[in-house]
Amino acid sequence: MPDWDEFVRERLIGISLEPRERSEVAAELADHLEETFEQLRRQGLPEEAAVERALSQVKNWQSLRRRIQVARSKENIMTNRVRQWWLPGFVALFLSVMLLMVNEFIGIRFGIKPLIVSAHGSQMSAPVAVIYVPWLLLLVPIGALAAYLAWRAGGSQGAMLLSILFPVLPHLAFFIVVFPVALVLDDHVAHNVTVSGLFMGLIAWVLLPGIALLGGGLPTQVFSSRRATSPSA
Amino acid sequence: MIAPGIKRGTAELAVLSVLEDRPLHGYEMARRIEQQTQGALRFTLASLYPLLYRLEKRGWVRGAWETSGTGRSRRCYRLTPQGKKKLSPIRKEWDELFRALRRLTKVKHA
Repeated sequence: MPDWDEFVRERLIGISLEPRERSEVAAELADHLEETFEQLRRQGLPEEAAVERALSQVKNWQSLRRRIQVARSKENIMTNRVRQWWLPGFVALFLSVMLLMVNEFIGIRFGIKPLIVSAHGSQMSAPVAVIYVPWLLLLVPIGALAAYLAWRAGGSQGAMLLSILFPVLPHLAFFIVVFPVALVLDDHVAHNVTVSGLFMGLIAWVLLPGIALLGGGLPTQVFSSRRATSPSA
Repeated sequence: MIAPGIKRGTAELAVLSVLEDRPLHGYEMARRIEQQTQGALRFTLASLYPLLYRLEKRGWVRGAWETSGTGRSRRCYRLTPQGKKKLSPIRKEWDELFRALRRLTKVKHA
């Protein structure tokens, strides 16, 4: 017979409840599983089948954890949203911006140049994409951190994905909303910007950072989801 | 078999009704509901506890740890005065709904 208490405690890791409350919930759910198991055994089911039937009551532990958290939370849904994606997202954005500044500062001080890719191949003429490789590499753990923070707060898969990609959303908004509007309304913005220039900007500031963030965030998301739903103790 | 959407709506009524008779712990509550509805309503761990915690947050039920004769510690739920007050209008609403559906679909008692 499994250690039901230990089994449930492992599945409730990351639930945002006070330690005493979390412990009570775990004890209560473990008690329910144990009683189901004992009843099935009394009905003559072999141990393995009884364990399987008892565990089949919960298809998705992550979803149960989230629903319990919402049901028991004394705070409102807005606070949960803040914890599940605003906070992880802004932490990731802040770190991303700070590390970009550090990257630029160190680059200037020590003469490390960013990678410059031109739309015209080897001819280094505008438009060009300025790619900060060290910064891109540092975005990998930032993506992982954002996914972890969202998961710990009981965030859904969508909330985790949003938190991971949060640092590139301002860049995306700039390219698809702010920049075209500024192009039309602001006389100071050069009007000879080409489609290839916008494309290069999107690659350097949205696509590549997005891939780097997902590179760290998605494995964390997959790992934490598996950990939350795994049937084995 | 009753469709999941309808079941969701009746879940609160089922829990409050079964607690009206006597305080129960989660597992016993699920068993009683299943027995009394002849298997039409079934609560699993995943469907019961979020609902119980929600009802507790609203102040309709109150849970407290109690030790049984066998020394086993369980969290028993009882209906609060506020929950008792809520049960009556919920029953009335569902009764009205079922009567309206009966009239509409001309479903007759067997």
